[in-house]
Amino acid sequence: MPVSIIRKFVFICILGAAPIYLNAQPPITVTLQNEATAIPFTKLFTRPVHPGVQLGTEGNYSRHNLSRLYQTISIGYIFHRHLFKGIYIHTALGYDYGFHSGFNLKAQVGLGYMQSFTTGKEYQFSQGEYKAGRDRGNSRFIFSVAPGLGYRLQQNNTDSPEIFTLYNCWFEYPYSPGFIPVMTHISQELGYSFYPDNK
Amino acid sequence: MQKFIFNLVTLLACLPVTSPAQTSTEALQHLLDELTGSGVPGITMSINYADTNLWLGASGYANLQSRTRMNPNNITRMGSTVKTITATTILLLQEEGKLQLDDKITSYLSKDQLKGIRNAELATIRQLLNHSSGIFNYIQDSHFQAASLNNLTKEWHAEDLLKYARNKQPYFKLGADVRYSNTNYILLGWIIEKVCGKPFWSVFQEKIFTPLDFTQTRFAATDKVPAGIVHGYIDLYSNLNVIDATNYSGWDYFTADGGLISNVAELNLFLTSLCTGKIISEASFQEMVNGIPAKAIDPPFFPIEYGLGIFKMDTPWGEAWFHSGDAIGYYACMVYFPKSRTTIVWSANGNYGKIDPFISSKEAMEKIFTTIFGKVVASNATCFAIPLLP
Repeated sequence: MPVSIIRKFVFICILGAAPIYLNAQPPITVTLQNEATAIPFTKLFTRPVHPGVQLGTEGNYSRHNLSRLYQTISIGYIFHRHLFKGIYIHTALGYDYGFHSGFNLKAQVGLGYMQSFTTGKEYQFSQGEYKAGRDRGNSRFIFSVAPGLGYRLQQNNTDSPEIFTLYNCWFEYPYSPGFIPVMTHISQELGYSFYPDNK
Repeated sequence: MQKFIFNLVTLLACLPVTSPAQTSTEALQHLLDELTGSGVPGITMSINYADTNLWLGASGYANLQSRTRMNPNNITRMGSTVKTITATTILLLQEEGKLQLDDKITSYLSKDQLKGIRNAELATIRQLLNHSSGIFNYIQDSHFQAASLNNLTKEWHAEDLLKYARNKQPYFKLGADVRYSNTNYILLGWIIEKVCGKPFWSVFQEKIFTPLDFTQTRFAATDKVPAGIVHGYIDLYSNLNVIDATNYSGWDYFTADGGLISNVAELNLFLTSLCTGKIISEASFQEMVNGIPAKAIDPPFFPIEYGLGIFKMDTPWGEAWFHSGDAIGYYACMVYFPKSRTTIVWSANGNYGKIDPFISSKEAMEKIFTTIFGKVVASNATCFAIPLLP
């Protein structure tokens, strides 16, 4: 599928969901990540640590007792040593199933767009020779599946701050055409969600 | 006289369309310049004709950052070409009576070493050498590929790599076919160490590098990134935007399936010496090149047969014996044409993506051989133009 079509699709998904972020006081989520190129669900924690950080918000489509259906939107940065650094925008459709203890199980599926850059100097071939050049990055699409676990700090407050962790399995496409078409990643994520207007 | 005229007519009928002048050193240099002008960062080449004349050439850059020009004597990573050295060492050990090619590998390796490696229990040394063991190639495991990208500077030892070959379905029943597998050569390295009681690279040094008076060739385990090694570059995203990968071949440092560091002159001398009876006996060499045809060739290539650490390929320029090798950021290939007694070695400090077709494809080889030998006039004729070597 052409890159331009996928890119439009990703942005339509993100913009299409915009009203849900506006119809109520949205929370802010801050997430720290440890990313790895790895086959999903084969390792719980990966090393070496490749750090990432993500900032986002979310809005509910529906909420019933302890469960809710929602959409997230985030921007983030990943630094994978020696391989790439990426900035991305991502949206996910999520479902939380909660318990009276304050814990909830999470499941998210998402997609996003990433601009990926090399971590070292890039040499670009032009007019018959390589020259060090400005890395403009490569377009990448992200498809993600993330199970997780959350804990709401104030169980009777719908606007409770929450600590959560996600085991985010994501696919990067295109990767290395003709060599590795799709790269699989795991990100172990630890996040905090809070409502800034809550006193 | 009649015979002379007949031979002359035959020779003329077989002459390539290109004139000998085009296979001059200028033509060879033009070939290298064309390759670097197409996207190969740097390339070196050596051609040994009739074991007498050695031509050395280079083009492009050894280091793109410092703009250091490539020199034909530069050392570089030769990757899997080491498999021919591993096989030669095994044949030398057979000549010394220390092992037999048809010995089962279980005679040398422990149960722990072979645990979970399917087909290993009954495999012979010969079946490892000619890739007829069917043993799974660890490099093809997607977990390994992801793990190696996850930690590009990790130094992998044999045990780390073999984890990705254990409990994997073999490609076929033992001896039923041939399929390239690096795992075979990790095990062969262990066999050399068991028989000789020292690291296999020390055995390479004693039995091959020192007798050939090599001063530049070494195995990576002793000096992983030696001073003066050319920088290697990868076109990972297939857009001819390359990054420096000099330190990313850590899975190639301690196992006998890769890790050779040399230059094109010494590698040329090794292959020429091997193919002209200066290292192993004629009988051993015949065993080595007695190949098994591959049932399937992928990607499209010349018809090939799997020998012992060497391949036989049937080219329009005649039969050739060869082995190539990749490390991350490096490619090398060595070829010997017995009929013309010509050895060609080339190495490039770039690979993957759009670089590979210029250096390692069938078309790349055809271009190189055409420049050296000329075009073949008749499809069934095997015609050689003698290059004008200095």
